[in-house]
Amino acid sequence: MMSAPGRRGSALLLRSSSRRAVVCLQCASIPTQFYSAEAAATQPTITSTTTTPPPPLPTKEKTLPKPNPYLIKSGVILSRPPILTRLPTPFEASFYLYQKRLNERLSAPFRKDFYFKQDTALDLDWRIKLKERHGVPAKDIGRYNPRGRMAWNDEVLVGSTTSDPQHIVETLLKDAEVRVSEDGEEIAPEERIPVERPMPRTTEADEKNDVRRLDRRLDETLYLVVKRGEENEWGFPEGQVPTQEALHETAQRILTESAGPNMNTWIVGRVPVAHRVSQPDFEEDGKTIKQRGEKVFYLKGRIMAGQADLTDNKHGLTDFKWLTKNELKETLSKDMWDAVKNMLDLR
Amino acid sequence: MSLFQSLRGLFRSSQQQCIRSISTTPVPLKGAGGGGPKKPSSGNKPGGGFGASGKSVRRSQRGNDQPRDPKMINLMRHLAVLNPKRIPAPLRMARNRYLRHWTIHRAWLLFRRKQREERERVWMKQYQSMNRACEELRLTSGPDTRPEGYLFRVAMEKWGVYGLKGVPIEYARPQVETPPRVAWSHDWKP
Repeated sequence: MMSAPGRRGSALLLRSSSRRAVVCLQCASIPTQFYSAEAAATQPTITSTTTTPPPPLPTKEKTLPKPNPYLIKSGVILSRPPILTRLPTPFEASFYLYQKRLNERLSAPFRKDFYFKQDTALDLDWRIKLKERHGVPAKDIGRYNPRGRMAWNDEVLVGSTTSDPQHIVETLLKDAEVRVSEDGEEIAPEERIPVERPMPRTTEADEKNDVRRLDRRLDETLYLVVKRGEENEWGFPEGQVPTQEALHETAQRILTESAGPNMNTWIVGRVPVAHRVSQPDFEEDGKTIKQRGEKVFYLKGRIMAGQADLTDNKHGLTDFKWLTKNELKETLSKDMWDAVKNMLDLR
Repeated sequence: MSLFQSLRGLFRSSQQQCIRSISTTPVPLKGAGGGGPKKPSSGNKPGGGFGASGKSVRRSQRGNDQPRDPKMINLMRHLAVLNPKRIPAPLRMARNRYLRHWTIHRAWLLFRRKQREERERVWMKQYQSMNRACEELRLTSGPDTRPEGYLFRVAMEKWGVYGLKGVPIEYARPQVETPPRVAWSHDWKP
């Protein structure tokens, strides 16, 4: 995974890693160390103890690595993006109606003859519907004629449902019914074929509050949380990073191992979006580690299809849930919530 | 078909214009007046739709006894309605009505501003969260014998992140107002 540095670069890296922390490859290969070495040579009294590099080593110096006090883990915050747009607020809905009516006042009149051939079935159908709308060509602005004597009266009264989205949907559905047969005969009300209605915004899973289904809360983001066997605490799928893997590879592997392969997922980028650190426990001498701490780096994942399946998972998970942001806050422990709360979406 | 023929007449007139474009005198003036004072033609009414030039050319080609194509009449009437002269004038409002309009407009701007700021706040939080996580990662050594900052360097690499295979196509799904018949495919298999 690492880009192979040159012989000189790797020697530098090796040398400086034994001396102090290497921050990045570029910093390691920048020849500032030589400048500082020269500076240190000219002014040896000031910072000679810290900045003077050791003489180039003819052989590799093997230093024993100190035991790492932290266990490094990678986790996935798997989320289902919202499927539905949010509902407009009452203010938004009424503003849209207001703008539609103003637009009617400002635009050219509707010419029926351009769209419907005279005395065809479609023309008769249009005429019937236009009469029912009191001569208003637009279907969703209520009873308002921008060209008549009452053109000034373009504001709805308080309590009117004209701007309500549900009301508009009903009006459009009723308007979409075919009223005239192909022979030009008007169809009786009981023989009209109703238009196929759109699906409701709340699903069966919403009514049952089934938190394991993915078709709940369609206008919000859902996050996958899992429960480990003994802890009885909810968290995200996570696991230890082996030496050969990068964070995103571990995250993908952990996700498959814990929630099964039947999910179409995508790890967004390779950069962690949140992290959680638990400090290690030391003995009284302050050096020996009683218990190692943890550094968990969470990557962001998206699920496009499929469902989690915990059977035969390798991480001892017993349960899972798909929760919204507000539900996460109630479910997660405080330190876990504090770690991830900033990466969550608006809705 | 007859519509196309009449349209072709239009095109021919414009072609002629193109050919004679060396002369600075516009074609209709040349054809109609012959240099003299021009009579106001009847085609200049707002209902006419087209200029006088097309009308004179078409009349000469069609002959007076031949009726005009009804589709063409319909189209020209439609264009006459869309004539800028017939588009309604800008709104004029009395004082109270205008104050109400102004209030609604300001409320809408305020609403949008609140929304935008909320969105930006979330983006900033998300950025800070990423930033802090990356800083922690940069100062982390390990796993095992890996030097400090190794995982950070690997995470910063961009190989395969961009390009055609970078983002799966299923991700390009817009939000809609009502769900599909099957809101989620729970039985998806790889």
